[in-house]
Amino acid sequence: MADFLNLVRNENMKIYYRVRTWVMSAILLVLPLAMSIIGRFVDDSPNMWSYVMLESGLMTMLLSIFAVVMAADSVAGEFSNGTIKLLLIRPWSRNKILLSKYLALLCYIVLNLAVFFALTLLLNFVLFGGGDSGSSIPSGWSPFGYVTAWYGLNLIEMAVVATMAFMISSVFRSGGLAIGLSIFALLGSGIISSLLSLIDKPWIDYVLFMHFGLERYLNAGELFRGHSLGFSLGVLAGYYVLFLALSWYVFNRRDVAS
Amino acid sequence: MEEDSVLERHGGGAEPVVRLVNVTKRIGKRTIIDNLTFDVPPGEVFGFLGPNGSGKTTTIRMMVGLMRMTSGEIYIKGRSIRTEFEAAVRQVGAIVENPEMYKFLTGYQNLVHYARMIPGIGKRRIDEVVELVGLSDRIHDKVKTYSLGMRQRLGVAQAILHRPSLLVLDEPTNGLDPAGIRELRDYLRHLAKHEGTTVFVSSHLLSEMELMCDRVAIIQQGRLVDVRPIRRDAGAEKLEILFEVDRPDTASEVLDGVVLRTESGGIVVTAGREETADINARLVAAGVRVYGIRTVTKSLEDQFLEVTGGGRIG
Repeated sequence: MADFLNLVRNENMKIYYRVRTWVMSAILLVLPLAMSIIGRFVDDSPNMWSYVMLESGLMTMLLSIFAVVMAADSVAGEFSNGTIKLLLIRPWSRNKILLSKYLALLCYIVLNLAVFFALTLLLNFVLFGGGDSGSSIPSGWSPFGYVTAWYGLNLIEMAVVATMAFMISSVFRSGGLAIGLSIFALLGSGIISSLLSLIDKPWIDYVLFMHFGLERYLNAGELFRGHSLGFSLGVLAGYYVLFLALSWYVFNRRDVAS
Repeated sequence: MEEDSVLERHGGGAEPVVRLVNVTKRIGKRTIIDNLTFDVPPGEVFGFLGPNGSGKTTTIRMMVGLMRMTSGEIYIKGRSIRTEFEAAVRQVGAIVENPEMYKFLTGYQNLVHYARMIPGIGKRRIDEVVELVGLSDRIHDKVKTYSLGMRQRLGVAQAILHRPSLLVLDEPTNGLDPAGIRELRDYLRHLAKHEGTTVFVSSHLLSEMELMCDRVAIIQQGRLVDVRPIRRDAGAEKLEILFEVDRPDTASEVLDGVVLRTESGGIVVTAGREETADINARLVAAGVRVYGIRTVTKSLEDQFLEVTGGGRIG
């Protein structure tokens, strides 16, 4: 077990010894800081929770993109640099090597999201104080409870999108394709789902794109096409398992010829 | 019969380090490797020779588990690379084509990365290997600042880090300058002689193989053409000797029966050291003028072209 953790340490090393990782994290740190400080001086009736939600919305979008970049590079990068050859001729099964990569990726996402969650709450509490949540939090929720639930659902979405990028990275060994397709899924899902909604067929309920934007379910009464949160989570879980299965299957069988 | 010989080989001290048994690789309808069978004895520098596209790299990739075999089996120290991958590859250190490292890490971090993947490699072993390949001064610099020669050294370092019984090198001299090639050659021979490491090295550079290897396997279009030892003790045996003379016909008559063939400006005989001197004396005594005496050993290159029938790319 300790041995396997060494593999994860290796993957972490490959993530955190790169400048770009720290540039991304710096962006995630500096942007909300700037937004809140500017708001502190410009906003007439500032409200802690409205800033928390504003910044969280923007930052989770950015973090999703960064996570997709990491996921895409994780496998495809090793192939395009040729380092995969030296990695796979160690006494470790391919299953475990891929698992170490996947775990390192998940750690990166959870770590960043947790740091950001704490940062935005602390920052805006210091700048604006607690106070009334106003209209930024739907009625029936405690502000903290709502933000926590919101982050939880976003974490799930992020994990699904990153896993999709990871799968494309493993199957096609192309980082560009993985980044492109996943970001398209991320940003285009709104448009695609409203287009698909025009088709009144039952199968569209099982299309991946229809189930992004889980935080909709937090606003009571706003049921999307009559789905429940449970149904959407179920569909996402199905895709998630499919992505993982494809990643592992292809990675295990691949002839490394590049 | 078959079983007997297998048992015998396993029982003896010289069990082959690598055994390829009917290894075949097909991609689509194309047969890349066709029924390759040979053994690599321990403690030798074993050359794997073939023209470009003959399947050298594919074979090496199958040996280290990067590619699957369509059929057949490869054993490393008796362990199947297919069914006992982890145990088999534990014995192997390799550079497959170029030694590609993580460029954003330092040389040292790269070695730490690989050291972590095998239990029991501590900081001391890493330092020892760094010293051995002569990278001590630059090991804490990022790999992207390294020259090709330095990357090659780092490649060797990662390959020998875990003291493998088998070192596999695919075209190791590619891109090295003559000094680098010489250094690598000396180093590989040292590993084989003093550490008992078996070195399996592929190349299309024939002259290089001749200097480096104890034995070579020649493949062409995925088929094994020949496995032959490289002779180092050339003085002890009979060689083809060319005598440059003014009158080859007269010389043949004088040496009745000894002459192998007559060439323009000379005769070729098979002779050892002393016989050469005798023949020379006889020719001179008969009034034939001898301008030069030299051996016409076939270089590996000639042998190679002979067995592969020129440079057809398969």
